[in-house]
Amino acid sequence: MLANFKISLFFICNLCLLVLANSSEQFDEELSIKSLQDGKVASKFSFKTLLKGASPKDPRTLGTDDESQHYTLFPLGLGQILREYGVTELHLTLNAGNWNYGRWGYPEEKGVGPGAELWVWMGDGAPNSIDHRWKGLRNALAGLFCASLGSLDEQCTTSPVRSFSPEGVLPDWDLPHQIRHASLPSEHVCTENLTPFLKLLPCKSLSGIASLLNPHRLFDADWHGMGIHVLWRGKEGIEVRLTFQSIMDPSRSSSKQKQDWSLQSLFDRAIDRTCPIAHSSLISVSLPSSGAHSITPEPSRVDSGSAIFDVATVPKPFNAAMNWPSDFEYQYDTSLTPLKIQRTLKGSSQARGQLSLVIANHGQVSQQVVYLETMPWLVQFYLHTLKTSVNGAESDAVISNITYIPAIPHSRPTTFEAVLLLPARSTTRLTMDVTKAFLRYTEHPPDAQRGWDLPPAVFTPIHGGQSQNATAGLPSERIYTPALLVDLATPDFSMPYNVIIFSCSLMAFLFGSIFNLLTRRFVVVHVGSGKQE
Amino acid sequence: MTLMSSSKTPSPPASTLNFSVVLSALVAARVALTLTGLPDVLRDDHQLASPLTSFSQLQEGIYLFNHGVDPYSGGTFRHSPLFLTLFATILPNSPRICSLLWTLCDGLGAWALVQIWRARQNVTSSERDGLIAAVYLFNPYIFLPTLALSTSSLENTLMLILLMFAARGKASPALLGLAFLVHFSLSSIVLLSPILLLLNTDQFSHLASPRPLATSIRKVVPLLGEFVVYFCLLALSSTLVSGGFAWIPQTWGATLMLPDLTPNPGLWWYFFTEIFDHFRPFFLMVFTVHLLIYIVPVCIKFQHDALYATFILLGIVGAFKAYPTLSDPGLFLSMISLFPEIYPYLRHPIVTSLLHLHAFLLLPLFHHLWLNQGTGNANFFYASTLVFACANGAAIIDCLWAGLRIAIGKPVEGYSIVQE
Amino acid sequence: MEAEEANQGPRWKQSISRLRQKFKGGANANVARLRRRKAMISSLTRRLPFFKFALFVVGYIWMLAIPSPRLGRGTYIDENALQPSQVNTYWNWGDVHAADRYLEQLEALRDVNSTSEQRAHFLETEFKKLGLPASTQNYNFSSSAGLITGTNAYALLGSPRGAGTEAMVISASWLSRTGEGDGTLNLRGISTVLALAGFLKRYSLWAKDIVFVISDGYLDGMHAWLSEYHGSTHKNLQSDPVELTSGVIWTALNIDYPGHSFSHLGVFFEGLNGRLPNQDLLNSFQRISRNTGHVPVTVYDHIDPREAPQKVEGLVSNLPKILQDNPEIQAFSYQAKNVARHIGYQARGRASGVHGLFHEYRIDAITIFAIPATGPHGFHAIGRIVESTLRTMNNLLERLHASFFFFILTDHDRFMKIGNYLPSAVLISIAMMIQGLQTWVRAGWKGEDETKLNEKQDGSSGVTPTQQPKRRPVGRALAIMTVAHLVGLVVFTALTQRLFIENIQLLAPIMFILLATIPFIMANTIGDTGPLSLVLKSFNLCLASTVISIITVLNFSLASSLAVFLGIPLSITSSSSSILTRVIKTALYSMLGFGWLLLGHREILSAVHDWEVLQVWFAPFVCLVYVPLALQALTVCVL
Repeated sequence: MLANFKISLFFICNLCLLVLANSSEQFDEELSIKSLQDGKVASKFSFKTLLKGASPKDPRTLGTDDESQHYTLFPLGLGQILREYGVTELHLTLNAGNWNYGRWGYPEEKGVGPGAELWVWMGDGAPNSIDHRWKGLRNALAGLFCASLGSLDEQCTTSPVRSFSPEGVLPDWDLPHQIRHASLPSEHVCTENLTPFLKLLPCKSLSGIASLLNPHRLFDADWHGMGIHVLWRGKEGIEVRLTFQSIMDPSRSSSKQKQDWSLQSLFDRAIDRTCPIAHSSLISVSLPSSGAHSITPEPSRVDSGSAIFDVATVPKPFNAAMNWPSDFEYQYDTSLTPLKIQRTLKGSSQARGQLSLVIANHGQVSQQVVYLETMPWLVQFYLHTLKTSVNGAESDAVISNITYIPAIPHSRPTTFEAVLLLPARSTTRLTMDVTKAFLRYTEHPPDAQRGWDLPPAVFTPIHGGQSQNATAGLPSERIYTPALLVDLATPDFSMPYNVIIFSCSLMAFLFGSIFNLLTRRFVVVHVGSGKQE
Repeated sequence: MTLMSSSKTPSPPASTLNFSVVLSALVAARVALTLTGLPDVLRDDHQLASPLTSFSQLQEGIYLFNHGVDPYSGGTFRHSPLFLTLFATILPNSPRICSLLWTLCDGLGAWALVQIWRARQNVTSSERDGLIAAVYLFNPYIFLPTLALSTSSLENTLMLILLMFAARGKASPALLGLAFLVHFSLSSIVLLSPILLLLNTDQFSHLASPRPLATSIRKVVPLLGEFVVYFCLLALSSTLVSGGFAWIPQTWGATLMLPDLTPNPGLWWYFFTEIFDHFRPFFLMVFTVHLLIYIVPVCIKFQHDALYATFILLGIVGAFKAYPTLSDPGLFLSMISLFPEIYPYLRHPIVTSLLHLHAFLLLPLFHHLWLNQGTGNANFFYASTLVFACANGAAIIDCLWAGLRIAIGKPVEGYSIVQE
Repeated sequence: MEAEEANQGPRWKQSISRLRQKFKGGANANVARLRRRKAMISSLTRRLPFFKFALFVVGYIWMLAIPSPRLGRGTYIDENALQPSQVNTYWNWGDVHAADRYLEQLEALRDVNSTSEQRAHFLETEFKKLGLPASTQNYNFSSSAGLITGTNAYALLGSPRGAGTEAMVISASWLSRTGEGDGTLNLRGISTVLALAGFLKRYSLWAKDIVFVISDGYLDGMHAWLSEYHGSTHKNLQSDPVELTSGVIWTALNIDYPGHSFSHLGVFFEGLNGRLPNQDLLNSFQRISRNTGHVPVTVYDHIDPREAPQKVEGLVSNLPKILQDNPEIQAFSYQAKNVARHIGYQARGRASGVHGLFHEYRIDAITIFAIPATGPHGFHAIGRIVESTLRTMNNLLERLHASFFFFILTDHDRFMKIGNYLPSAVLISIAMMIQGLQTWVRAGWKGEDETKLNEKQDGSSGVTPTQQPKRRPVGRALAIMTVAHLVGLVVFTALTQRLFIENIQLLAPIMFILLATIPFIMANTIGDTGPLSLVLKSFNLCLASTVISIITVLNFSLASSLAVFLGIPLSITSSSSSILTRVIKTALYSMLGFGWLLLGHREILSAVHDWEVLQVWFAPFVCLVYVPLALQALTVCVL
């Protein structure tokens, strides 16, 4: 009996050893820092966990209970959710601010739309419908990340296939895969979202690069955004990539305009320990192509214009720093991206407005982009007023193969997807009249009437063979416009009783006097003294 | 149009020519009005075009229809499939031409109004013709919605034409017209019974000498059947052209369910903006039934003069329907010109007209204060709609009183009339 | 009675006979009811004239009492989110120094009297040196007065981590508002804005984007910029599109600092067409200026004489000494001055500063005017005050919305609620309405009986009312009114002709004479008068009363002026037989109605300009509403 127990104990220990020994999971962390042309510093944390040889859950097996999963590095909470709802590919981003493409170029992680954005690819064929799983998924994620993703309901859910093609590989079960996309521009991102984010990391924020994630500095940045990306790399396995990007302004603190930075100045921390289980842990600083500058300490190696430090080997505590001898001079002549997009909602009336889009293509070549507009039903398009012009001249050739799904009040948003052809060195203008809905007083939020945030429009440049890129996992750019604010006419919230009383008594009065005339009989009476004079 | 009038009425050419000249002059003036910048300003005005009658919505629907999107799949298109096909195929939908078309329709309506007058007076022409046409064409409640290209103007024209046929005793065209009208705006069903009554009696004025209904109710049945047949045919055809029944909740359902709370001069929108959700169905029922209540008493009381009953019910519909525009009360007000005999007996004409003056000035002003200027809130416009409702109610009551009071004859020294 | 029954339908005969035999009681009850009603009506009609008179008197006295310090109440902050002057300001002497540097460069620009383009380019580059995206905008207006061109410069400070959906505007126009843009330059205002741009950029606490606009000219530049920003098109305006846009603008500050230094900060708030900003903005600025900047605030540029007793001016100066020292009188005279200034702006729909252009886009804006004086305040004070005000605006969670748009600011910290001043005009309009209805009844009575008599002969056939001689001639009265309004339309179209504008000296008097003669022509063409003049008078009164009572909500000043000009005169119009009185009346009423054609040429020009460039509807209102009313009154007199 006792021997029996001993034996089993022995086997269990062996099993554990085995699990630890065979490294079926791999964790890589990287921090890349780059000085931008407007003196700001862009930094990007990336924590990548690869679950080797694994494959997404087949939706057909969702009904049956799952075989047990053993994760050592892979975030368990996330893994359970993924398998629970049979998610093939998932992208969740929580950003604050507008990414300035003109000055900062394309971001390394392209999901930079303001607020919260969630889009997933799921295989159909499960016992319960995709929308049902989507509902469960967003609620589970809301719980996991303390974000109000639960309000990404069907009133803002769309399926834009062309703009959000999968970045990983879709398994070739003979099943149709579907996309669900929703964004919540009014979501405010802060520490309560960062803490659960850090919990997903194997070393938390105790050691390694993750120890630089200091909320006090991160959330004082000009722009910051965290992202969770799950995708299947085919044979390699399932990859979970947690990213945190930020744009910081070193010149803001100092009165003199210098763009010097150090890990200490940016994050108010230095790295004292490496994360022991990290397969690789690198800090890469991209060096400016020109101008005198100094970087300390001496990097481990330099390749392709960026200095690379291996955190495992550098002396601790480690604090990289970069200095320029001269003061910083602003120059904005060059826009880093060929496209400059301006999207505004014109008109100050609460009844109608005009959606205006101005796209300047500075590039030397004409450019094709997919233009995606997802609009809550609060704002309804007048598609027949859509006008396009290039350099001031009317032209309908600009816009082609439109897919339009009109909104349904109280349930479905508008989806407007079209391909725009932007000639080289041209300015294209789109205008479309819109009407603003009038809501019942119970549909208005109880808090301050700031207005309603409209999600950003998304532009996806089409290059030759973009599809191969997608399958190869090389993401093509995606451009998010800023969000819009629309203010709808509000009824008087203190009035329901008065309105009911007024309207009803007026109708009752008219009804009464009309029936009075219709039913009572006319009689002639003798009043003696003649008419009143 | 003037040709039609001269052809349809074999009468002393002088006066007909005279009237036709007058009418064409009036219509020309109206056309000139459309050439000003006014139409573009008024296009989407909430008082002139409700979601059910707005021209922009119609154009949007046509655009979607032509581009292979089912307009009724979306939430906002609430026009009848017949309008859709009509404008998508035959009729032009460029605003310029349409405003001309709308104006001509108004002219046609004016001509029909005059025909009704002539039929009622049993004369081939009279000096009042020009005046009546002018009262119709230059009633701001009538021509402003026309400038805004609201389809309610077309409904008015239809109404007048079918009344003209009814007044001439031509049953089938009248019923067909009524079927169209009810198809376009469901609340016009209220007018069914007085028009059936009119088809069974004569159109002359018996207000001064009321008498019980001579004809038997049984004669109504075949007419009713005819109407039902027309109506079903229209519904069927619109189902065919729109390829499905999706149009029914979008058009008729809107009249009953009030899904779109865009402001309008009526009484419904703010009430159902503010009403508590669990009372909504009940009050929708109440407001809908309220319209129907008036039919029977009015028809009984004015069984001797069905045209007058129709007139009164028109006023009631215009005041209490779901998505009214200014043109609905406008038709009622313009039709007063058909009944000069009641003028001496109107109760408080000056008060009524002052109420209408106030409402007419307040509505656009408070609408502007609320939605554009932002200094006023929704209650401002709501208050002005209440004033407007009072004005309409006062007009109806005036006409009711006068129509009944006239039967007793002139007041005499020392005697006066009361209701017991 | 028998005669009655003869021509009645059988039902009524039955009814009446039944009534007779069945219950006399019911009849008696009816009789009693009728008697009561009659008694009530007659007593009411007897009291009406007195009642009407009382309404007039109370209304006018109320209007006079508006400036009284006893009526108003102290200002307060309604919107809790604003939290005025609750923050530490960081604006320091270094920033003042920067402002001085900018001022020097601007003065250099002024001395070489540079063109708009050069100035705008300079400003753009300065903004860009600060690291802000900046741009310029060219515009030109074409009005019947001529062509107006200029160039605006503007920059955008995006709020860190902000979604860029809301924005605040700080603006300064090249021309100061002193003398309605008579050429005084607003250099210090502009350098304040530039220095602020460099200063505000250093802080990450902005929840809203901040747009810096340096508008060219006085009003025209900002008008062009706002029109382009909100995509509203005007047919006489060509301007470049605004390249850098932010989100919705809720509040805006316009800084006007013409002098070398200042003693008080004056606040200007009247917008186009009498639109006022939300009072919370004024109040919070006032508090901030007092508590944070320690700068006294005044309404407009009126410095309270009680602060400097030695110089007494205005109403008070020609009063006996004992009254002059009475604080009540002093307060009244000072507040009366403010109210008069307010009415002067609002009634004419004039904007009292560049801020006035924001209002029509639902943006609450005020102008901070540094009243030129020899000290003690300068860049340091205004910088801190603007910074703190911006922080307050930054606190806003929603558009300023409490019903704080209707007020009369009698003093910088006293105001009148709408309920305290609105009734004055409404009472007068009610009195006019009563008079109108009375006249209507009077016009009816004599007519009615004959009407009935000769209706008895021809029965109630389809005869139109206008054909009957003795009934109220409604049709003709309406015809006269229509003509009057058409005349007004003609006058308006004439006023907006370049020809008229150019030789107004000659044409205005001619138009005056034409207008004065029109009523005679109408009277002669109509011929037979009878009750026509009464009917016309009653219609005229009712229309005027309606217009007044409705305008009160939109623009109280205009309504009260109408009440003053039309109230009594329209009520006492009457046709008179003697030639002399006719002539006198004609002269008086035509002066009342069209006297502005003779006297107010400058007013006409500015009103037409405002209409053509800024869509101020004062000119059309006068031509299409006021002139017809006067014409009709005149017609009543000459009929």
